[in-house]
Amino acid sequence: MRRYPRWPIHLALLAASFIMLVPFYWVLKTSVSGENIFSYPPNIIPRDPNPFYYVDVWYAIPFARFFLNSVVVSTMTVVANVVLNAMAGYSLTQNFFGKNMVMMLFLSCMMIPFQATIIPAYLITGKLGLLDSYLGLALPMFSTIICIFVFKASFDAVPRSLIDAARIDGLSEWRIIWKIMMPLAKGAIATNVILAFIWSWNNFMWPLISTRSIDMQTLPLGLARFLSYQEDTTGALYAFCIMVLAPSLLLFLLAQKEFVQGLTSGATKG
Amino acid sequence: MCKERRQGLWVPAFAGTTRGGIPIGGPFMVMAISETAAKRRPNFMGRKSTRKAILIWSFIAPSLLIFLLYRILPLAWNVLLSFEAWSPLKPAVFIGFDNYQEMFFDDEVFWQALWNTLLIIGSAPIGIMIALGLALLVNADIKGRDIYRTMIFLSYPLMTVAVAIIWRWMFDERVGLINYVARGLHLVDKPIPFLNSFAWALPSVIAANIWQMLGFYMIIILTGLQNIPGNLYEAAAIDGAKALHRFMRITLPLLRPSIFLCFVIGMLNSVTSFDLVYVMTAGGPGRATEILVTYIYKLGFTQTRFDYAAAVTVVFFLLLLAVTWTANRLSGGDAGAVERG
Amino acid sequence: MTDSDEDFTRPKWPRLLSNRFVVVPALLLVLTAGWNAWVVTHDHGIVAGRVLDASGTPVEGAEVKLWVFNFTTFVVKATTTSRPDGSFEFANNPSHNIQVSAEKPGKGRSARVAIRLYFASEDFVLKDPLRLTDGT
Repeated sequence: MRRYPRWPIHLALLAASFIMLVPFYWVLKTSVSGENIFSYPPNIIPRDPNPFYYVDVWYAIPFARFFLNSVVVSTMTVVANVVLNAMAGYSLTQNFFGKNMVMMLFLSCMMIPFQATIIPAYLITGKLGLLDSYLGLALPMFSTIICIFVFKASFDAVPRSLIDAARIDGLSEWRIIWKIMMPLAKGAIATNVILAFIWSWNNFMWPLISTRSIDMQTLPLGLARFLSYQEDTTGALYAFCIMVLAPSLLLFLLAQKEFVQGLTSGATKG
Repeated sequence: MCKERRQGLWVPAFAGTTRGGIPIGGPFMVMAISETAAKRRPNFMGRKSTRKAILIWSFIAPSLLIFLLYRILPLAWNVLLSFEAWSPLKPAVFIGFDNYQEMFFDDEVFWQALWNTLLIIGSAPIGIMIALGLALLVNADIKGRDIYRTMIFLSYPLMTVAVAIIWRWMFDERVGLINYVARGLHLVDKPIPFLNSFAWALPSVIAANIWQMLGFYMIIILTGLQNIPGNLYEAAAIDGAKALHRFMRITLPLLRPSIFLCFVIGMLNSVTSFDLVYVMTAGGPGRATEILVTYIYKLGFTQTRFDYAAAVTVVFFLLLLAVTWTANRLSGGDAGAVERG
Repeated sequence: MTDSDEDFTRPKWPRLLSNRFVVVPALLLVLTAGWNAWVVTHDHGIVAGRVLDASGTPVEGAEVKLWVFNFTTFVVKATTTSRPDGSFEFANNPSHNIQVSAEKPGKGRSARVAIRLYFASEDFVLKDPLRLTDGT
């Protein structure tokens, strides 16, 4: 390879990483020590770290309930996404009457962001009687076009002879999807699970609009409520931030490869 | 990466359609030979293919229903609502362009929100350029590039509400880290009230957004970089091209699709960044950070003016379409792709 | 695309068990279960301690108050009296953020000691005794 010094690159990348990670460290520091909310100049190393702000958060708001709501809605979204997107992705690999029209429809739906649909989506959900319910929270996110195409690409790569052999053996289309295609599409499934989970977990605007009672609110809503209710007077708000960020971070660190793969293979937010 | 052309709409490239360089056409030739003709003909003969068509349609129906219900129908309903005067308890009255008239001629907030939205769109290139630099660095042949990549990308999967809270505090006038650094470096004498000043509020929001999206842009550009065949560089080096020339003549043109993909996504993301603006500043101070999305939300759910909000939504959507179309044209349409294998 | 080679003679579950998507959730589950078990066995709400006077002798009959954090301030939730050896005990503390103070007319009073618990009604024994001093 070319001979050029490596250390300037390392230096620049270290500086960039430092800038990207400093907010994390800062929040972590404040969540364990409660400093620098009113005092100046800031400390770098926290004095008296203590975990009690986390305990405060747990009892100050119904954290367990918010967490449960987020988990339920995200799980519903993920399961529905895998099933619906796999089915739609499989359909797109077959030739059928009206396929072009459907493809056009999907691609044009990609251009419609969620924010352009909030008011009628709210009205529709109201008419369906699903406001303030788990199903109403999860329903708009049950299927995303990117993931459909991820599945389609993955299914396209399955050798045709395998499918033909299965058809000759008498498997129905449904069986073909689940017994043959899905085991070979583990990457697509992982990508779909992670993307759907992260989008659903982080979703703030739709729960804000479609829930009324505190019981049904999800974590992002709880966090925003906490901000207005507690302001930033104690380290509890930042402890809440860390508690809320931890699952996404953990999932991301576990499944980096699939996450990045899913994003680079067609990457607008469904 | 191969692309799908659909009447000039630029669709992101799909990885996986060429696995290890083996073109996908191979298996299809096998299929053409082994398949019977009946399935390929557009008009149906025989109940089996009709039954299969119905089955396939039933597979696609649930997804289609969701998109119909939550994308197409709402868009159409928005358009319809924008021409009516409607409140939830009274029947709708068709009023033509009155909503639009009010929006364009009487509503200062709309124009401020529109201007802020355009500013945010215009700031997307800043993040992309930084990400381009980072991607070039990470792409270099150094140890630990995966770790750097992870560290830089870490900010993307986070909840935007939490990011907004973190940055809200970092920009704080009294105790914020940004002010501390600025004063420590003697850039300013007094702390700057970032989120409370008309001049600094929107740039602060934009900075927070760039922080969150940087890793994402970097990943996309990195993928584009890694798809450039290495022998192009070697051939150019043999021909005597200097590094800067190689960068300008090979890298940048071949990165064009990735960069414009970043721009489109970044634009979409920042223009629809309700979470960030709502939690960081709630549109304030005054209306300095009000963007179209937050304005729509306030109109619809604080003032309950669904009809007027629908009109603003239609304008918002048209703006989005216009910017995406322009970006698509600027990127050379579909002709910027690297065709492989 | 295909991961493991299809070796049907070897059992698959050792490989499944070492998969990170199984190990990490399993670990989390174990930790959560363990923590919940600990909480359930230690949440009787017992707060115990001792009262000493300025010279270090145990104080009997001091009035000990338990303060509980209620939205913005601490309010007195329970009182008890110290035993002959100076020890005292509260039962059924409902909160995770409490304070205790002791007072005896003639001996003075102690500072309000803040106690932060890891979970509500955690059983807690004060390490340092409450010392009564004259003055405030």
